[in-house]
Amino acid sequence: MHKFILPLLASAALVIAMPAFGQDAKPLAGQSITVLMPSPQGPNIAEDFEAETGIHVDLQTLSWDDIRPKLVTALVAGTAPADVTEFDWSWTGQFSAAGWYMPLNDVIDADTLEDIGVAKIFTVDGKLLGIPYTNDFRVMLVNKKHFADAGVANMPKTLNDLVAAAKAIKEKGVTEYPIGLPVSATEGASTSWYLLTKAFGGELFDKDFNPLFLQPDSAGYKALAFELMLLKDGLVDPASTGLKDSQINESMFSQGLTSIMISGEPGRLGQMNDPKQSKVAGQVEAILVPTESGETRSFGLPEALAIPNVSENKEAAVAFVKWFTSREFQKKNAVNGFLPTRTSALSELNEAGKLNSGDALVAQSKTVEALFPQGTPPWYPQFSSGVNTAINSAAKGQMTVDQAMEAIATAAKQAMAQ
Amino acid sequence: MSVVASGNVANKRGVGFNADTTLGLLLVSPIVITMVALVFYPMGRTVWDSLHRVNPMQVGTPFVGLENYSRMLSDAQLATTWGNTLTYVVLAVLAEIILGVLAAALINQIKTGRQWVLAAVILPWALPGVVNSVIWLWIYQPGAGLLNGILVALGLPFENHVWFNDRTSAIIAVTVVHVWRMMPLTIVIVLAAMQGIPAHLYEAARIDGATRVQMFGLVTLPLVRSAIAVAMTNATVNAFNLFDEAWVLAGASLETRPVLVQIYLETFQNLRFSYGMALSVVVTLVSLLISLVYVLRVYRNTRFD
Repeated sequence: MHKFILPLLASAALVIAMPAFGQDAKPLAGQSITVLMPSPQGPNIAEDFEAETGIHVDLQTLSWDDIRPKLVTALVAGTAPADVTEFDWSWTGQFSAAGWYMPLNDVIDADTLEDIGVAKIFTVDGKLLGIPYTNDFRVMLVNKKHFADAGVANMPKTLNDLVAAAKAIKEKGVTEYPIGLPVSATEGASTSWYLLTKAFGGELFDKDFNPLFLQPDSAGYKALAFELMLLKDGLVDPASTGLKDSQINESMFSQGLTSIMISGEPGRLGQMNDPKQSKVAGQVEAILVPTESGETRSFGLPEALAIPNVSENKEAAVAFVKWFTSREFQKKNAVNGFLPTRTSALSELNEAGKLNSGDALVAQSKTVEALFPQGTPPWYPQFSSGVNTAINSAAKGQMTVDQAMEAIATAAKQAMAQ
Repeated sequence: MSVVASGNVANKRGVGFNADTTLGLLLVSPIVITMVALVFYPMGRTVWDSLHRVNPMQVGTPFVGLENYSRMLSDAQLATTWGNTLTYVVLAVLAEIILGVLAAALINQIKTGRQWVLAAVILPWALPGVVNSVIWLWIYQPGAGLLNGILVALGLPFENHVWFNDRTSAIIAVTVVHVWRMMPLTIVIVLAAMQGIPAHLYEAARIDGATRVQMFGLVTLPLVRSAIAVAMTNATVNAFNLFDEAWVLAGASLETRPVLVQIYLETFQNLRFSYGMALSVVVTLVSLLISLVYVLRVYRNTRFD
């Protein structure tokens, strides 16, 4: 009899204890958080997270450009736009000075930080304000079929090679405007100019934030002159004065109307090679950014998740940030166009052959520099606006390169004075 | 004596000066409370904050006097945006008034189906500014845009012409969209005034041998002047507030950027809230002052006492 009773009692005890075990595994089950991220995101984020943690997620997505005004208006009024929000690298200085986000140093372990090297871009005065979830940097995207059709066998390594390839593509009539380059008054025009400044072997500022682009032999000056030359020679569509980088990617490059994205985003490779979203699927690959010297350079524009100080659900918010930036999820999320920020996840995906142009991306990721080694300054948004406004005016023939560089320097000076 | 008597009667009936005053106050209180809460308090607060430094990146909000206003004098981008805004105001007000009055006169001649014509004319005004602007963005598109298509069909060299790469054509393109949206309001205001002109005035003018043009200049226009003043005031304020059209069609481009876009950038991009508030105060004052000129001038010319 005892043979039956003891196991029965043990089973009953286990059944009674099960919910308690479950609660231990999901200590925050039943809580709800709001998350604000740029669109598009993977379709099952909320469901997967809830299944794993029991925390309900109200995921709101907006276009990247619309997120910042929403964050600023809510945060300046002392309310939380969401419990977890997007946090772009370019906002770091400004949002840090405003003190809007909680430091995450105490809730993120050292191994994670070591694995996510770009996290240091989000660290100001020792305070880690965001955990990077997408490893955005710049590569060059090319349509290899267009190159082959134009008889260009070798991918460009220098800027001269690049111009020669673009001219060959145009002369063969493969595309009318072979190079995609935003010169509108938008952030994309600024980042393209920063990349070309690096490609010409220079920097924007010295360590004391004195501008380094005013002299005609400086890299920044040559970068803008190069952009205007591409426009003048008909290698860039003159309508690019009104197009954002996303519009050039989606309405030109992925439609086969242009052959080279100078300032390409690695995260778009999946979309470009998806027949449902692109007419050039299977033709697109990433190559290392060509430079004047032939030695590639790039810079990082990672995006992070962060938690506003005024969030009322910080514990659950931290759980979401940890889950979203975990190695397993990053590997899974790569199919949605988000390149892992964890070195380990990036290597594993590449070794498994799951990354489009994986070798080029891994090689380029090793050359990624911070745009501002001193840390992103609080005046960056104003400076960047001055940059793209001047580039846009120069591209429309309303300013010379000299005037544009002066205007950018003045914008920087005024921004720093605030 | 009679005053006392009537006072007594009134008191007996429970009505009188005090009761009337109370009722009057009760009746106006909703609008007074609404105006104070939603207009005067925010306006006063905006003016007050514009005299402080309100910037979330800096600690505290110290009183800075007129510093935010004096900074405007050395702001080169602001000067350009003011130039753009004043250009929009002049072009838009002229176009809306001239074309609006002519369109109202034309619609006034229609005897049957006027309401349908009016409904069609009002449509752009009824649509949100952003929707109008997006429609026109397609029209202006360099490649497949309707405008270039029509010009090319007429044999003109406008293949892939980019209208926003030249400041003059860009300003005109933005103004056209704004006028397209706001002119219906001018038409409605002026048409209402035209419909109130007694028919016998036109009969008398006809008997005197006046031509149609003379009747328009000597009868119609003088009698709709006050309506035109109202329409001009409205057009001016709206042109100073131009935002959607410039933002959707040309983004932050300096060549077309009006003051309101500059305010948006200063406030939400640069986080200089008090500077944005000072700019808003100045834009409000300038548009009100200019509008006041029309109103006072027309009031002087049309008063009958």
